[in-house]
Amino acid sequence: MEPSQQLIDDIYREKVQRARGTPIPEKLLAGPRLFAYACEAMRAGIRAQHPAASAELVEQILRQRLESAQRREDSTDE
Amino acid sequence: MNEIEIVAAFITALNAAEIPHMIVGSLSSNAYGIERSTKDADFVVQLGSIPLRKLLEYLPPGFHIEPQIGFETITSSTRYRVRYQPLAFLIELFEVNDEPYDATRFQRRIATTYGGQKSFLPRPEDVVVTKLRWSRGGKSRAKDVDDVRNVLAVQGDALDLTYIRHWCDQHGTRELFEQLWTERVRLPETEPPV
Repeated sequence: MEPSQQLIDDIYREKVQRARGTPIPEKLLAGPRLFAYACEAMRAGIRAQHPAASAELVEQILRQRLESAQRREDSTDE
Repeated sequence: MNEIEIVAAFITALNAAEIPHMIVGSLSSNAYGIERSTKDADFVVQLGSIPLRKLLEYLPPGFHIEPQIGFETITSSTRYRVRYQPLAFLIELFEVNDEPYDATRFQRRIATTYGGQKSFLPRPEDVVVTKLRWSRGGKSRAKDVDDVRNVLAVQGDALDLTYIRHWCDQHGTRELFEQLWTERVRLPETEPPV
């Protein structure tokens, strides 16, 4: 079932209220923290795709994927 | 060392090397808007006569400066990249230039802390103006517009609209700003966070 527009709007308003109540030094830490979570999820995906991969190989594949994303982003800068 | 510690170590090194700086990019829009994941940390720096490699004297092992120098296409700022090799986290540095808006934005920066380290941020109006400028100049990423939308919703009427409109007029982004300002989510005003 798709969420209704009303639900989407209510969730967004909650996010805005929470952001207004959070001190800036705390919000500054959120980006890198969320990136670390995202990397953990990517590692889990890589391990599922490559069950025999060593921890070192998982890190290598993760770096390759992130560098590939960076190259795509760089190519839109031109 | 995790991603937060990498950024904190880098700010510590900037302070030790006495390089004036401010946190920009998605970290700055996180500060004034709604947090999202970011795979890099962007800084504007005023190197003056200080060689960038001086930073390495104050950074822990694992950091390295990429030899290739780039250019930010909108303001022609020089761009340097610093990596902490064990993790895929990237730090990008943009040298402040004497272009009127870039210089004004840097002069208006305000003090903050990152992980206990003294640092600086642009003012929220400058996050809006800069992100709109990027969205127009080829770096047309939807996430920049989303970041602006979020800053407008969170900061609301606390923003100096006269200042934003002045620079948006200069950059040709006034129409987009007015559209986003009209469409912004409005909530009962509360003081924005400090």
